[in-house]
Amino acid sequence: MSLFSELRRRNVIKVALLYAVASWLVVWIIDHLVDGVGLSPWVSDYMLLLLAIGFPVALIFAWVYEFTPTGLQKAADVDQTQSIVYKTGQKLNAALAVLAVLGVAAVIGEQLLPEFTPPPRETLEEFPLKPVFDVSASAEVPREITSFKLPNGLKVIVWPDHDIPNVALYYFVRAGARNEYPGITGIAHFFEHMMFNGTTSRDQGDFDREMEAAGGANNAYTSKDVTVYMDWFPKSALETVLELEGDRLANLAIDPDVVETERGAVVSERREGVDDSHAGLLHEQMYANAYLAHPYQNPVIGWPSDIANWTQDDLENFYRRFYAPNNITMVFAGDVTPEEIYLLTDQYLSSLKRQHPPEAVTITEPPQRGERRFAIEAADAQTPLLHVAFHAGATSDPETLLLDLLLAIIAEGDSSRLHRALVEEEGLAIRVSGRQSDGFDSGLAYFALTLAPGADIAVAETRLREELGRVVADGVTPSELAKARNLRLAAFWRGLQTINGKASALGNFEVFTGDYENLFAVPARLSAITAEELQAVAAKVFRDDNMTVGILSAPAPETSE
Amino acid sequence: MKRLFALTVLLLSAVATAQEVRLPDYERVVLDNGVVLLLAEKHEVPLVGLQAVVRGGTAADPTERAGMASLLAALLEKGAGDRDAASFAEAAAAVGGHISTDAETESIMVIADFLSRDAELMIELVADMLLRPTLSEDEFLKEQQRAIALLQAAKGSNPRALIGSYGRAFLFGDHPYGNPPYGSEASLAQITHEELVQHYANHFGGDRLIVSVVGDFDIAAMRTRLTDAFGKWGPAGSPLTPVETIGPLSGRRVLLVDKPGSAQSYFLIGNISVAIDYPQRAELQLANTLFGGRFTSTLMTALRTEGGLTYHASSSVSRHSAAGSMFIHSYTQTATTVEALDLAIEKLGELHRRGVDEDMLASARNYIMGQFPPTLEPASSLANLFAFLEANGLDRSYIDAYGAALDAATPVTVHNAVSEVYPLVDDLVIILIGDAAAIRESMTKYGPVTEVSITEPRFRVYQ
Repeated sequence: MSLFSELRRRNVIKVALLYAVASWLVVWIIDHLVDGVGLSPWVSDYMLLLLAIGFPVALIFAWVYEFTPTGLQKAADVDQTQSIVYKTGQKLNAALAVLAVLGVAAVIGEQLLPEFTPPPRETLEEFPLKPVFDVSASAEVPREITSFKLPNGLKVIVWPDHDIPNVALYYFVRAGARNEYPGITGIAHFFEHMMFNGTTSRDQGDFDREMEAAGGANNAYTSKDVTVYMDWFPKSALETVLELEGDRLANLAIDPDVVETERGAVVSERREGVDDSHAGLLHEQMYANAYLAHPYQNPVIGWPSDIANWTQDDLENFYRRFYAPNNITMVFAGDVTPEEIYLLTDQYLSSLKRQHPPEAVTITEPPQRGERRFAIEAADAQTPLLHVAFHAGATSDPETLLLDLLLAIIAEGDSSRLHRALVEEEGLAIRVSGRQSDGFDSGLAYFALTLAPGADIAVAETRLREELGRVVADGVTPSELAKARNLRLAAFWRGLQTINGKASALGNFEVFTGDYENLFAVPARLSAITAEELQAVAAKVFRDDNMTVGILSAPAPETSE
Repeated sequence: MKRLFALTVLLLSAVATAQEVRLPDYERVVLDNGVVLLLAEKHEVPLVGLQAVVRGGTAADPTERAGMASLLAALLEKGAGDRDAASFAEAAAAVGGHISTDAETESIMVIADFLSRDAELMIELVADMLLRPTLSEDEFLKEQQRAIALLQAAKGSNPRALIGSYGRAFLFGDHPYGNPPYGSEASLAQITHEELVQHYANHFGGDRLIVSVVGDFDIAAMRTRLTDAFGKWGPAGSPLTPVETIGPLSGRRVLLVDKPGSAQSYFLIGNISVAIDYPQRAELQLANTLFGGRFTSTLMTALRTEGGLTYHASSSVSRHSAAGSMFIHSYTQTATTVEALDLAIEKLGELHRRGVDEDMLASARNYIMGQFPPTLEPASSLANLFAFLEANGLDRSYIDAYGAALDAATPVTVHNAVSEVYPLVDDLVIILIGDAAAIRESMTKYGPVTEVSITEPRFRVYQ
C-alpha cells in the first residue's frame, strides 16, 4: 500500500483540510475582533503561531490514532476489519462542508452587511504617561469638549467653537528624533515631507492642490518627540480634508524619484538652519554633547550622511510602524459638532489598520558626571555665542512647570534677571534666552546668550554662573513669583483665543501629559506654586556637574611680536 | 442610514455657515487734537489688545540716519513717565502683559496685549511711552550699541534676515523707501542722542496718532479712559511730508553681497511696483497667491516640489503710500545658484505670457476667502486691522467688499494686473548674498554686477 493511500485511509488528508479551514475561520474572526473591538494585534499573532504549531501535531495524531467503537486506539493496534475510518471520514467530510459554508457565508456577509461599528470604547493606552497635574475640582473643563476613540485606536478630541466658520485640525503622530537610531536619524522629519508627496491614487502635489482649492492651508512640524500635522480650513472643506487625510494615512506612495527630490529640499533646509547659522550649529552640537546615550542627542533634521543614505525600506518600515491609528491623536477645534466629526472620522479613518505599538524608547540618559565643554571657531563670528544647558525633566514630571516659571524669572523678557544684569547693566550680552526642551523624556534647561562684539566670554560665563548660583542660594522674591505666574496665566488665555491655539493646546496636553483636561488645571496649579519649590528645583538642576557649556567665537587674532 | 445622517448634518451646516466675510463693527472717534480712536468689544477671553500707530516710520528717517525710527521705537520702552527702564519692563511683566514696539515703513507702532483686569495699567504705560518717554542718553547709547551688534550677529547666524535691507537699499537707492528698516552699522553709529530727541519732537504728536483697542471691556468706559490719556496731546513739531512717488527701474542690475564660505545663495528678484491705492487689489492678491503666495504656487512647485533646489520660494508685493516693491524670495545651495535664478526668472516670464485660467482663479479665490476669518480671531489682530485701515485712509469696504471683488475677477482682469504689478524679465533687480568667489563669474549674464562684502557696515551701495 502506498504512503498516500494510507494517508487517505487514515483520514490524515481530511484532517489537514479540516484543520486548515478551521484555522482560517479562527484567524478571520480574531482579525475582526482586533479591528472591531480593539483586541490587541498580539492576540492574532499568538493564535497564528499556536495554529501553526498545532498543524503537525494534528496530522501526527490523525496518523497514529484512530476512532473505534470502543474509543481512541493506536491505528497500528486496530484490527483493520473492525476499522471504521470511512465513517470517521464521512463525519470529517460533513464538518469540512459545514466550516466551508460558514467561511463562505462570513466572507459574503462581510461584503453585504453594513460595516460593523461597535460603539466607541476606551482601550488600553499604549503610551501611559503619568498626569502632570492633578485635575482638581477648581479646573473647569469646558463642557463642549468631547473625545472618543475609534475601534482601531485613533483618539479624537473635539472642541466646538462657532465664532468663525473655520476649523483647525491638529494630529500628533508619536514619532520624532527620539525614535531614531544611527543610520536613520532625520527620518521622522523626512517622513513629514513625504506625507505631502502623493498617494497610490494622488500624484505629488495633489494633496496641497486639492486642499488649497477647497480654501484650506496646512503645515507640519517634527520635534524630538512627535510629528504634528496641521490643517486650517473653512468649514465647507471639512469632508475634503478628512478624505485627504484618510488617503495619505492609508495609502501613501513612497515614490523613489520623489524621495530623491525631497532629499534635496531637506538638505537645503539643513544648510540654512545649521550650516549657515552659527546659532543653529551651536544648538545642534549642544545636544550632541549633553546627551551620551539618549537619542535626543540627534538633530531632528538628521545627520548629513543619514539624510543622504536612508533607503526605501527604511521609509516603508517607518510608515507602517509609526503612522498607525493607535499611534495618533487627532484634535479638531472650530465650527464643528462632535456628531459630524464622529461620523466623518468613522467614514474616512476607521479603515486604517491598527498596528503593533512601536517599540518603547526605554533608554534613560544616565546622570551627567561632571561638567562638559566644547568650543567652535567660526572666522566670521562678530558676536560670540555662549550656550549653557542643564539636564532637567520630562513634560510629565511635576517639576517641569516649576522650572518653566524659574526660567521666566531668570531669562524671559527685559525684566528678567539675566537681561537686567548681562544686557542692560553690564553690556556683556545683546540677547539672552532661557527655555526648556521637555518632551516624553528628560530634556534640557537651555540658556542661549548672544554676547556683545568683543565681550570677554569667560566673564560672561562667570556672571551667568553667579546669577544661577544666586537663585540656588537665595531663591526668588515674592514679586518675581507673582510675575512668572501672571506671565503664564496670560499666555494660557492668549493660547485659547484662537481655534488654532485651542487645537494645539489640547493636543499637546493630551499627548505629553496623558489627558487634555490637564490643560484646564494650569491656572489653579500656577496659583499653588511656592517660592520654596522653585528654589528646590534650582538647586536640583543648576549644578556644575549637570552642566554643558558651548562657545562659538572667532579665532583669536594672530599677534605679531 | 448612518451615511444619510452624515450627509444631512453636512448640508445643514454648510447652509448655516455660508456667509460673506465681514469686518466686525467698531466705533471710530476723532478727538479734538486729531487722535483717532478705534474701539470694539470682544468678550470670549479676558484679554485686551491695543495697537497705537504713529504715522511717519522709517521713510521719515533723516538722510544718512537710517535706523532712527527703529532706534526711537526701541527707546520708548526704555523708561517713560515716572518709571526707569527697569521698572517699566517690570510693570508690564508683573501682570503678565506684553508690550512691544516696531518701526515700519510709514509708521511706528506700539503693540500691547494684557489681561483685561489690567487694562488701566496698559493704557497708562502706552500713554507714558508715547507722550512722556524718558529718552535718556544713557539708554540711548546702550540701545545704539545693541542695535549695531544685533546686525552683526545676523550676519553670522541669519543672513536671510538681512536680504530685505539690501533689497530695499539697492532697489530704491536714496528714495526714503530705500532706508534699511533697522538702519545699518554705519548709519546707526552716526545718530546722536540730540538728533534722536529732536526726531521725537518733530514726529510724535496727537495729529499723528491712531489708537485701536479690542477686547474684553466696556466700550464707553474705554472711550473715556483713552480720551483722558491721549486727548490733550499737542501736534508733532513738523508736518508729515508725503513720500514722493517713484516708478520701476529699467534694465537689469545685480547686487552681489559676498559672504565667503556661505553654503547657500540667498536671493531676491524684483522691481518697484504699485502703491497701496492700487485699485485691482483683488486681482493682485489672486495673482500673487497663484505665483508665489502659497504652497502649491508656481514658484514653490518649480523650485521646491519639482526642482528640489530649495526649501522655500515665494513672491510678495509690499505696498506703501507712494509705491511698492515686488520681490521673488528664495535660496539654494551655492552650486545651483544659476539654475534657481534662471528657473525663477523663467516662471516670471511665463506668468506674463500665459496668465491664469478659470480653475486656477477659483482655487485662489477659495484659498483667500478660506484663510481670511482666522485673521480676525485674536483681539490683537483685529486691533491691528482697524489701525491698518485707518492709517492708509481706507474704510470697512476694503474688507466687506473684498469677497465680491474676488468673485468679479476674471482671467483677463488678473492678467492686466499682472502686467501692472510684476516686472518684465528684462527689467529686474537681483540681490544675492552668497560665496562670491564661486558665483561671481556666472552673475554677469544677468546684468552689470555690483559687489560688496557682507562685513561692509552699510546696506546702501553707491554705484
